[in-house]
Amino acid sequence: MTPVLRLLARRLGISLIVLIGVSMLVFGIARVIPGDPARIALGPNASTEQIAKLRASLHLDESIFVQYGHFIKDLSRGDLGISLYTNRPVTTDIAQFLPATLELVLVAGVLMIAIGLPLGIWSARFRGRFADHIIRLVSLLGVSAPSFVWAVILMLLFAYYLPLFPIAGRITDTYTIESITGFLLIDTLIAGNFQAFLNAAWHIVLPAFALALSGIGQAARLTRANMIETWDKPYIEMAQAYGYAPARIANRFAFKPSMIPSLTIIGLDFAAMLGNAFLVEAVFAWPGLSRYGVAVILRKDLNAIIGTVLIISAAFLIVNLIIDLLIAFLNPRIRYSQRDVK
Amino acid sequence: MSANRPGSGEDTGSVKNGSMERNSSGALLDIRDLHLGFRGYTGYTKVLHGISLSINRGQRVALVGESGSGKSVTARIVLGLLQETRTARITGDVEFQGNDMSSLNASQRRALRGTRMSMIFQDPTSALNPVFTIGYQFTEVLRRVDEKLSKEAAYLRAAELLHTVSIPDPARVLDAYSFQLSGGMNQRIIIAMALANSPSLLIADEPGTALDVTVQAQTLQLMHDMVATHNTAVLFISHNLGVVREFADRVYVIYRGRIVEEGATQSVFESPGHAYTRALMAAVPRVTGGGIPDIDDESADFHDPCFTHDSPIAGTES
Ligand SMILES: Nc1ncnc2c1ncn2[C@@H]1O[C@H](COP(=O)(O)OP(=O)(O)O)[C@@H](O)[C@H]1O
Ligand SMILES: [Mg+2]
Repeated sequence: MTPVLRLLARRLGISLIVLIGVSMLVFGIARVIPGDPARIALGPNASTEQIAKLRASLHLDESIFVQYGHFIKDLSRGDLGISLYTNRPVTTDIAQFLPATLELVLVAGVLMIAIGLPLGIWSARFRGRFADHIIRLVSLLGVSAPSFVWAVILMLLFAYYLPLFPIAGRITDTYTIESITGFLLIDTLIAGNFQAFLNAAWHIVLPAFALALSGIGQAARLTRANMIETWDKPYIEMAQAYGYAPARIANRFAFKPSMIPSLTIIGLDFAAMLGNAFLVEAVFAWPGLSRYGVAVILRKDLNAIIGTVLIISAAFLIVNLIIDLLIAFLNPRIRYSQRDVK
Repeated sequence: MSANRPGSGEDTGSVKNGSMERNSSGALLDIRDLHLGFRGYTGYTKVLHGISLSINRGQRVALVGESGSGKSVTARIVLGLLQETRTARITGDVEFQGNDMSSLNASQRRALRGTRMSMIFQDPTSALNPVFTIGYQFTEVLRRVDEKLSKEAAYLRAAELLHTVSIPDPARVLDAYSFQLSGGMNQRIIIAMALANSPSLLIADEPGTALDVTVQAQTLQLMHDMVATHNTAVLFISHNLGVVREFADRVYVIYRGRIVEEGATQSVFESPGHAYTRALMAAVPRVTGGGIPDIDDESADFHDPCFTHDSPIAGTES
C-alpha cells in the first residue's frame, strides 16, 4: 500500500468514528432538551391518543438505546426519517436546501484562496514596503470581525446606501431555472441562460464576500508568515543565485514549500465557513440549510436536527480529507516516507 | 561553449564600451577597493574596508578568513545579490568580463547569474528545494540559457551531466527529491548544476562544510576536476587552509573586511607574511589529502596581530 493510500484509509476510518460519535452526541442532546416533539408537531389541540400514537410511531416511548438502534438501522439504508416540520423525508429536505449553502461556501472558499494567497505572496515579496503595509492592514481588518458582522456591514454599504448589489435572495424571482445540480451558478449555465447566470452571480457576491473576508485575511497572513520563513532557506538563496525572476521565485520556489504548513489551517477555516454560513444566510435571507436548521431546532424536529448536524459534520470531514490529500500531494515527504524508496 | 559568449552579454550590450577599455588587466573578475556597510537600527556598520581581488580566466582563487570576516558578503556582491538589499551600501568597482556591475540594473545583473556565473553553497541538501524533484530543478537551470529547451531534451541533457559527476543511475536521481538522497549525492548534483551552463565563474562558498570530511574531500576533488574540464574560474571561499592549499592557485587572506595577504598559494604557505595568516595556519593541522578538521570559528585572539600589522580598525565594529 502506498503511503497516500494508507493515509486515506486511516483518515476515512477516523472520519467514520467521528461521525458515529457526533450522531450519538446529537442524538443524546436532542432528546434531553425539554419539550415533547410529538406534542409540538401536532399542536395544542391534539388529543392524548393522537400524541401517544405519534410517539409510538417515532419510537419515543422506548428507551434511548433502542431509539438509537432504530436510528442507525434506518441510517444504514440512507433513511434519516420524516421531518415533523415539512412532513417530508429529511433527506429530501436536505437535498433541497444544502446546495444553496454549499454553493455559498464554495464560492467563499474560492475567494479565500484566489484573493488571500496572492495577497500573502505579494506581502511577503514586498515585505516592509508600502504594498505590504496595506495588505497587512487589510488582512488584519478582515480577521478582526466575524462573518455575520461583515454581512451586516457589506449589506448596509453596498446594498442599502450604495445599491450596487441585491439585498437578499439567490436569484431574481422572474427566472425559473430547472434544478439539476442545485447549484444555481451551474444550473443556469446548463439551461444556457446566461442572463440568469449573471443574475445569480450578482446575488452571491455580497454574501460570499461576507463569509470569505476573515478567511481571506487569515490566508493572507498565514501565507505571508510562512513565505517569510521560507525566504531564509538556502534553496531560495540558491534560486536567486541562479538568476530566476523574482516573481518566479516567489510564486513557485518559495510558495509551494510555504503552502504545506498553511494548508491545514486554511482547510480548517474553510470548513468553519460551513458553520458561519448559517449566520450569513440569515442576514441575506439566503435560502440555504440555515433557515431549515433554525426552524427544525425551534420545533424540536428530532430527525431533521440530527440529519442536518450529520450532513454538516460529514461535509466538514470531507473537506478535511481533501485537505489532507492535497498536503500529501504537495509534500513529497509524505508521499515518500522512507529514504530511497524507488 | 563559452567561446561563443564573448565579454559582454546579449542584453547588456550598451555597457560594454568604455568598461572594456578600462579593464586593461584582462581579468575575468576584478574587484577594486570594495567597501560595504549596513545601515541598521543601531547605526552604520562597516563590513568591508576596501577589498581588491582579481581572478583570471580558468583561475582558482581562494578567499580565506575566519567566520564573519566578510567572505560571503563579497560573494553576494559579485553575484549581484547584495545590491538588492536596501540596507547595504556598496562602493568600489566590481568588473565581471569587462562589465562594470554597478552600471547594470537588477535584471541585467540577474541575467548573468546561473548563466555566466554560478554558486555552490555550504549544505547541498538544504540548497535543493525539498518539494521539487531533482529533475525539475535541474531542467530549470538548463532553461536559464535555452528557454525553449523541450522537457525531454532537458532531461536527457541533465542525465548526461549527472553522468559526468559519476552518478551511476541518473534517471532514478532525476525522479528523486533531495531528502531521499545522501549529502554526497546532493553535492554531486549541485556541482553538475553549477557547471551545467558552462559559466566562466563559479563561486563556492565553503562548499560541503556540512558534509562529513571524507565525502567533502571526494566532492572537492570532483569539483576540482570538473572546473578544469569546463575551464571555469573559481572563487573558493573557505576558512580551512588545508583544503585551500590543495585547491587554489592563488590565495587572498581576509581579516575583518580587509585583505591582509595575497599571493600564489605556494608562496603564501611557504612564507606567510602576515601574522594573521601564520596564526590561521598554526590553527590547522597540516594534513595532505582529505580529512582536515575545521578550525574554531570564534577567534577573538587575532586582534593583536592585526593591530601590529595593519591600520587600526577601532570603531569599525558595531
Ligand atoms: N544583510 C546583512 N545585514 C547586516 N549585516 C550583515 C548582513 N550580511 C552580513 N552581515 C554582516 O557582515 C559580516 C560578514 O558576514 P559574512 O560575509 O557572512 O561572513 P563570512 O566571512 O563568515 O562569510 C558579519 O559581521 C555579518 O554580521
Ligand atoms: Mg560565510
